[in-house]
Amino acid sequence: MSLSRSPSPVPGGGWASPGLNIASGRSSPIPGFTGSTTTPVKWESSRLKRGFGSGYPSFETKNQSFFGRHMRRFSSGLPRFNTSRHYADKEKLGRGRWSVHSVPLLGRIQSIMGRMGRRTKIRLLILLIILLSIYIFYNSPLVYHWRRSLWLGGGQKFVIILGANVGGGVMDWKGAREWAIERDSVRNKKKYVARWGYDLEIVDMSTKKRYAHEWRESWEKVDFVRTTLRKYPKAEWVWWLDLTTVIMEPSYSLQDHIFNHLEKHVYRDINEYNPLNITHPFTDVFLDAESQSPVGDGKASSINLILSQDCSGFNLGSFFVRRSIWTDRLLDIWWDPVAYEQKHMEWEHKEQDALEQLYISQPWIRKHTAFLPQRMINSFPKGACADKGIDPRIHYNEKDRDFLVSMAGCEWGRDCWGEMYSFRELSYYLNRTWWERFKEDFLALIWFKLTGQKVKF
Amino acid sequence: MHFALPPRKTSKPPPYLPRSTRLPGLRKTRLKLVALVALVFLALIFLVTQPSSSRHSAPVQRVPRGDPPVVLVTVLDEGKYGRSLTKSVVENRLQYAEKHGYKTLIAKVGDYDLKGAPFTWTAVVAMRHALTKYPDCRYVWFLDSSGFIMNPKLKIEEHVMRPSRLDELMKKDFPVVPPDSIIKTFSHLKGQDVDLVLTQDKGGLSSGSLIVRNGEWAKFFLETWFDPLYRSYNFQKAETHALEHIVQWHPTILARMAIIDQRVINSYSNGDKEAEYKDGDLAVRFPQCPAAGVEACEAETESFVQAWRRAFADS
Repeated sequence: MSLSRSPSPVPGGGWASPGLNIASGRSSPIPGFTGSTTTPVKWESSRLKRGFGSGYPSFETKNQSFFGRHMRRFSSGLPRFNTSRHYADKEKLGRGRWSVHSVPLLGRIQSIMGRMGRRTKIRLLILLIILLSIYIFYNSPLVYHWRRSLWLGGGQKFVIILGANVGGGVMDWKGAREWAIERDSVRNKKKYVARWGYDLEIVDMSTKKRYAHEWRESWEKVDFVRTTLRKYPKAEWVWWLDLTTVIMEPSYSLQDHIFNHLEKHVYRDINEYNPLNITHPFTDVFLDAESQSPVGDGKASSINLILSQDCSGFNLGSFFVRRSIWTDRLLDIWWDPVAYEQKHMEWEHKEQDALEQLYISQPWIRKHTAFLPQRMINSFPKGACADKGIDPRIHYNEKDRDFLVSMAGCEWGRDCWGEMYSFRELSYYLNRTWWERFKEDFLALIWFKLTGQKVKF
Repeated sequence: MHFALPPRKTSKPPPYLPRSTRLPGLRKTRLKLVALVALVFLALIFLVTQPSSSRHSAPVQRVPRGDPPVVLVTVLDEGKYGRSLTKSVVENRLQYAEKHGYKTLIAKVGDYDLKGAPFTWTAVVAMRHALTKYPDCRYVWFLDSSGFIMNPKLKIEEHVMRPSRLDELMKKDFPVVPPDSIIKTFSHLKGQDVDLVLTQDKGGLSSGSLIVRNGEWAKFFLETWFDPLYRSYNFQKAETHALEHIVQWHPTILARMAIIDQRVINSYSNGDKEAEYKDGDLAVRFPQCPAAGVEACEAETESFVQAWRRAFADS
């Protein structure tokens, strides 16, 4: 028997069997064995197929179908029941096993790769790369490290301080609601921090003897900012958050939301929004041009303190401080016994009022302070600053997807936990995934139309 | 049955193969390389230009050029010291300044609005004003109007403020307020980090003669000192006690302050041995002066006025 080509290298391919022309797997129309000089061996099946041995090979394109073309590949890739193993192994266990296991995995892959066309290989490779990048950039833990690293995402530059356990310890017992508020608030911040690679420092604001006994009560904030800066040497910005705050849009990173374009977002001339009617800028003759300028030197690099103003002045429920020499000085000067002695009867909000006082009287403070529109970092619920109704500068609006809500003053006769809870649920609702939206807005609706029953998937 | 045959080759083949691309340099293999390099390049650009807050790193502090090197600040109070003494003080400052290329800022009480605080507070504003008026000066030396510069040969930047000289002069781990204050000056302070130089007398810190180095710290210090809440607090010795207060309560100020021997910049016309003026000292002050009355003052200062005039004429 002469063969017009060498035997197939496909593993398990074996020799081309006469009469079984479908097995060749090649698409060239081979004239076949009929041209051979020796008597052809006709198998029963082939004879049947050919309509009782016409003797002439009928012309068949061997490209009939996808399956036809690739049948050999598929079949050789399938596991086979192999009986013709080494006869000496006869009595051993494992004879007659599925023999795929006998071909090493690497070999199989190699052979698959070998049979694959170059173009297919490239296509597969590209697909693989795309899938891999999707995984890496959206799902893998690598994202976290990417966002956290100093020169890629820069997440390590931000530390959130959360003042927990307010008034705990001495002043009152924590009830179920207080615990719930704390748990929710902490979870909210933890999630946010884990998403963007920031650090979270939860500090204990419980009234301690150290503070309760002296004048220094409520100046813990200052001390905590200082210790936090020491604890996280890579941190550049510290973000103070009161306990009763909810980050409504965890998808906003601080960099995108504020710091990448700091100079665009902040206003440094307090006349833009001036509920305290502070005279600005300074006009004293003994001050230099920079101190007299309404915006300091006007550069983002000179901003060291960022806060917002609510209806009655400065609000320190959510503010940023940058690590700098200036900040050391501010934290040092902030609490002063002489100032406190004269003003403690007037200063209801203690450190907040003290900062206002410093801002009013000290040019060096003003030069480095900037304000953010309140709703960028510190939206209020309806209950806070409620005297004049809803103010678009102050109150949360879900259409604008405000970043953070602070239930300022909720402990004075409002329902802290109720507000926290409703904003938490609203945040979840607003940030549903497309799949949840599909289920809840589409499937459940259809189901409701069809059966009149409300369902939850 | 026959198969479609491929078209015949032309019998006149073109002499050259047509160009595969316009630019022969950009062959397929090279194209790949170029694409790869471009990709890496773009990735680098992306990484470098990524907006991050490191762009807003701390601003570089402006270093004053030292022109003039020193500004002499004095606050005049004719009502307390009398006209002739005041005139003599002004001459003294001007001559000394001219000799070394310094500038002067001579203010009168009432020049600034102190919002009802004692007039002695003018000293603090005047120093702040000097920083505004001469943004490139290196040091501001405040010497109040009951003092004369006696030795025209000594320069502030050499005699006092040179870092190595300061290292020798300053008293480390030394109680800030004389007898036994628990607040002491820092023991690891270096001469080059000192921004404020002053002296102590028996009663405590002396604010009659002090040197401030120009810079952000100086502005912070003077503005803090001038805080309206300190002015309204009725400290017994007004700005002097306010100074003692901020120095003891605020480490950011204490960390930049050096206390030196009194006779270096602040000799007294009479007093203890360590404080009393000797020939060759830089400056002399008359601590009892304004309280004793104008005549007594003039009598006491008479000999010193003659002495400084002689010294200035000689040099």
